[in-house]
Formats: sequence, structure tokens, C-alpha cells
Amino acid sequence: MSKHDIRLRRQKFMARGPDRFRDYSAVLERHGKEMRIKKVVRVFTYLFIILIIVMMIVIVVRVEKKVEKKKSSSAFFQDDKKLVEVSV
Amino acid sequence: MTEEEIRKENEIVELSRRDPRAFAALYEKYFDRIYYYILRQTDDEDTAGDLCSQTFVNVLNHLSTYEFRGLPFSAWLYKIASNEVNKFYRKKKGTMIFSIEEKKVRELVERSDPDGQGTWDEEIMQRLLHYLKDLPTDLLQVLELRFFEDKDFKEIAFILDMTESGAKMRTYRALDKLRKNFNLKVKYDE
Repeated sequence: MSKHDIRLRRQKFMARGPDRFRDYSAVLERHGKEMRIKKVVRVFTYLFIILIIVMMIVIVVRVEKKVEKKKSSSAFFQDDKKLVEVSV
Repeated sequence: MTEEEIRKENEIVELSRRDPRAFAALYEKYFDRIYYYILRQTDDEDTAGDLCSQTFVNVLNHLSTYEFRGLPFSAWLYKIASNEVNKFYRKKKGTMIFSIEEKKVRELVERSDPDGQGTWDEEIMQRLLHYLKDLPTDLLQVLELRFFEDKDFKEIAFILDMTESGAKMRTYRALDKLRKNFNLKVKYDE
């Protein structure tokens, strides 16, 4: 099965056909707009990446602090136990 | 196209990278050709106008990535236009249209049959259209660029993202069928 259709044009394409679409200033304007959008998207992407990195650092630091806290508290507990044993 | 013309075009492209207003010269030069190329594949003037404008916007957006490969700048324009047309049909989920001018077909037929031995009536024209409809789309795209846009195989290969030998082979296959079915002697490298 073909994925295209063939149409035969009896008349020649209109000579002034493309003239109503020819507008370079409009093309320039659209180009400028799309480049601005591209820049904004790029800035937001970078900010998003930076935000994720910062969040990961904060999470890692917090987890490390928690682990350290747990370690130190369990060490105190062990010391207390030892003290009790000695006194008995 | 002479090497001097290709070099001059490349100078305009270099200038346009810094100042897009300089691109106006190439826009004026190629607008019609790109418009008709798209129109032949959409058969709708408004769609062709929109896609043509979008093609030039994309060209300006990606001008910084353009690499000169010894080919005319128009090859890159045709490539982007071809991508725009494919994108349009993917979005629309419709059947690709090839709109062919009867005059162009007759010219091609007369060139390949200068003695006028074959009688080219309406029935044969309909058979030819049927034959073109049955051809695979990629083969038809190669034929269109070769005989309606007068592109050489190197440019066709670049525009349709294939090897030069692939473009030659496809043209040869299509013409071979044409020779067998319609007794036409369209030259492969005409």
C-alpha cells in the first residue's frame, strides 16, 4: 500500500502565489522571539539543575549529621552502661 | 552553480551568523523555490506558505550549527524544508501528497521520446499517475528532487539523509520500471 497520493495539476502554479507569504521582517521577528524563549528555557534549565544539586547537597549533609548524632548518642549510652556496671 | 557563487553564498551565511538581517539576500533568492517545493508536497498554498516561513525561521535559529560541505546552501534549505513537510504529515497523520504539474510531466516525456513514437494520451497519463502512486515514497522523493528540482545526486543524498550511491540506485530503479512500463528512455543522469 502506498503512503502517498499523486495529484495532477492541469494549470501552472500561480506566478504571484508565494508573494503573499514573502515577509522577511516577520521571519526575523519570529526568529528573535524563538531565540528569546530558547534563552529563557536554557536559564530555567540551568537554575533547575543548580537547585537539584543544592537540594542533594543539603540532603546528604542532613543525613550525615543524623548518622553522626546517632553514633555519638549510642557511644554515650555505651559509656553509661559501663559506668553502671562498674558501680554494681 | 559555480564554485564562486557557492563561496559568495557562504560569505553571506557567515555574515548572517552575526547579523540575521544579512540573510535577507538568501531569503529573497530561495523563497520561491522552497515555497514551490513544499507546495508540490502539500498541494495547499496556505500550508505551503506557513511551512515555508517556518523553514526560514528554523534556518535562522540553527544557522550557528551550519557546516559548509562544499554543497550549495540551498541543499541545507531543502533538507530543512523536507523535515518540515515530514513533521507536518506526522502531526496531521495524513497521506503525503505529490502534486505534479501536467506541463512538467509532458516536458519530461517529450525529452525522453523526441521522435514522438509513443502516443501520450490521457489514458497513458492516468497509467503513469497510477504507477507513480505505487512507487515507494522515498523513491518518489528522489525522483522529484532529480527531475523537478534538478538536484544532483550529492545534493539529493544530503537532503534525504542517504548515501550518494543510495540516491543513484533509487533513481535507477524507478527509471528502469518507467522504461519497462512506458517505453520511455529518461536518462538516468539527465
